[in-house]
Amino acid sequence: MSDFEYEEVRRQRLLGFLFFLISDCVIFGDFIFSYLYLRNAAPVWPPLGIERPYLYLAAVNSVVLFGSGATMHFAMEAFRHSNRRLFVGLLLATIVLGSMFLGGQAYEYTHLHDTWAGSTFGASFFTLTGMHGFHVFIGVIFLITVLIQTLRGTYTPHRYFGLTAATLYWHFVDVIWVALFFLFYIY
Amino acid sequence: MSVTNIGQPESSHIHPPPDTFIKKYVFSLDHKVIAVQYFITGGLFFVLAGLLAELMRAQLMGPNNHVLSIATYNQAYSVHGSAMVWLVVIPLLTGGFGNLVMPLQIGARDVAFPWLNMISFWLFPPAGILLFASFLYGAPQAGWTEYPPFSVQMPFGTSMWCMAIFLIGVSATITGLNFLVTIVKMRAPGMTWTRTPLFVWATGVTAFLSMIATANLSAALAGLFIQREFGVPFYDVSRGGAPVLWQHVFWFYSHPAVYIMILPAFGIVSEVIPTFVRRPIFGYKAIAYSSATIGLLSFMVWAHHMFTSGLQHWEQFAFMVLTMLIAVPTGIKIFSWVASLWGGKIRLDSPLLFVFGFLSTFTFGGVTGILLASVPVDVHEHASYFVVAHLHYVLFGGSMFGIFAGMYYWWPKITGRLLDERLGKWHFWSMFVAFNATFLPMHWIGLHGMPRRVATYDPIYTSTNEFVSISAFVLGLSMLIFAYNALRSAKSGEVAGPNPWGGRTLEWMIPSPAPYYNFKEIPIVLSGPYDYGKPLPYANVDQELATVPVH
Repeated sequence: MSDFEYEEVRRQRLLGFLFFLISDCVIFGDFIFSYLYLRNAAPVWPPLGIERPYLYLAAVNSVVLFGSGATMHFAMEAFRHSNRRLFVGLLLATIVLGSMFLGGQAYEYTHLHDTWAGSTFGASFFTLTGMHGFHVFIGVIFLITVLIQTLRGTYTPHRYFGLTAATLYWHFVDVIWVALFFLFYIY
Repeated sequence: MSVTNIGQPESSHIHPPPDTFIKKYVFSLDHKVIAVQYFITGGLFFVLAGLLAELMRAQLMGPNNHVLSIATYNQAYSVHGSAMVWLVVIPLLTGGFGNLVMPLQIGARDVAFPWLNMISFWLFPPAGILLFASFLYGAPQAGWTEYPPFSVQMPFGTSMWCMAIFLIGVSATITGLNFLVTIVKMRAPGMTWTRTPLFVWATGVTAFLSMIATANLSAALAGLFIQREFGVPFYDVSRGGAPVLWQHVFWFYSHPAVYIMILPAFGIVSEVIPTFVRRPIFGYKAIAYSSATIGLLSFMVWAHHMFTSGLQHWEQFAFMVLTMLIAVPTGIKIFSWVASLWGGKIRLDSPLLFVFGFLSTFTFGGVTGILLASVPVDVHEHASYFVVAHLHYVLFGGSMFGIFAGMYYWWPKITGRLLDERLGKWHFWSMFVAFNATFLPMHWIGLHGMPRRVATYDPIYTSTNEFVSISAFVLGLSMLIFAYNALRSAKSGEVAGPNPWGGRTLEWMIPSPAPYYNFKEIPIVLSGPYDYGKPLPYANVDQELATVPVH
């Protein structure tokens, strides 16, 4: 298949991947709706005896995650400028920062008094952040796969859809976190 | 830049055919084989779900009957509804007809992501097995809608239901994504949106709905599952949860779902009418754009299923108005189809008979839908047999008659043989009469107070229920005519040429059965479909196959 013909395939894959991300957004949207509905219906929020998680730890964790988004962005730039070493370095940094975010989440989970089944707050919080954490985990696996493919030389300057998809997915995970951080820690 | 390279790069080349039995018939990547797999599996679940219905009708032959216990009866209608919606109508229309016809009609060699297509199919049998296996662990008893708190309290079978529907939901989401990318990106050169066949328009809107709406079902099911298995209190009132939350999220999917179940049938009707009336369809753009309008509006009417759930008055009013509004684009289609008959040379063969069956029963169901859209009416008729009548008129009368119209129409394309026309007429008339005999009286008993989902009833409804049950048995038997017709056609049916009906869409310009690569060369589209009496709207097609026979 020539590069010219590949362009059409790339566009189809991109559209398909965007549709997938949109449907994923819908699922998050449903649980966000559920959280807001339950919160609105509750006589008092947070429910009696439940304390809201600490802003400080989550804020630091957010900076870590957004930082990984930035490193991913610049990694793509490096790839497009054929700067392979910088690309691999920034990709590794993204993987490390993403893993640190997951570590931070695990730390927070183990230090919270509320449980998943303990209250409607726990139900909403753990389901949403848990789903998000799972997506970050898959994202880290995805990035590691991209790293392996890069080292094997799979991507060419014109054919690197796996990398594009991983970048989009990683930014998607970032955007969802913005919403969740705002909903659970600020609002 | 050569014209045949536009939009059809990789698929312009013909890949070598699959060689092993597994690659040809089991894990096939060919959309036509996958379609047949969907038809067979969906057909099997249709029989199973239909048998459940016959058991229900046997129980309802008389009040206080002992055919089924109350719990078993509850399980029967819950699995019947779930199976019909998720294992029969949606897979047959999307995975079956969508897969079979849409790529052919747009002049493509396959869908955008054939491997995902295969995955979509192979999620289907496990989902169905899981659903029916729930009978062994206490099948769900709260209807196909499974409202909490009842659905939270039921045994493990309800969790199996959650898992089964989740699987089929994932399958539907993937299919929707696949079809939408295919339709947006892989239409043949020259096929602008207003030259695209109406079945493709219908499949496209359906794909959009499948992709976006089904995610909501996944979320609702996940919430119910984790509440049941892990005690997470989304719907538990005693801990701050809300049963109405389930209803909102569930119906936000399930209302678009009913449009997923009817839009492809609308598309089939739009295809059969021009071919059997030998004139262009009336109001092509009206039908196309109304499909898109219906798709969008379908997301705005969900709470008309919740009029008795404690909504605010203004909410009830808003949903009532929006629901009545969605009747407008639907009505536009009905009028366009009827107008398409004017001045045509009507050939009343089986596909068109089923279309007329569709038009009469679906319109009737649509009218009772308008009645139910009105809050004062719905407050009385909610959860009564009036609703059961309405839903069967639109889903059986609409979707099922549409499915059979499509079966008779496209059978020759996939098998290379015709179904017997006399048997087809017998099938149609017995099914049409038995269908109306079964479901028309339900309006009456519903208005007179018989609730739905009950294993017994007040003796005043006895004679009507007896009549309905007997009609339901006849309805079930009428399906055997089709089964016999299908088997007979496979053995000794009349060989169909490429275009037995004289259609003008692209699928009729290739041999029957269709070769695995569909088109030797990707056709070029020069004008819209359905233009009877005008020059052929395609270039690059085999001129021998493209001769449209004149009757």
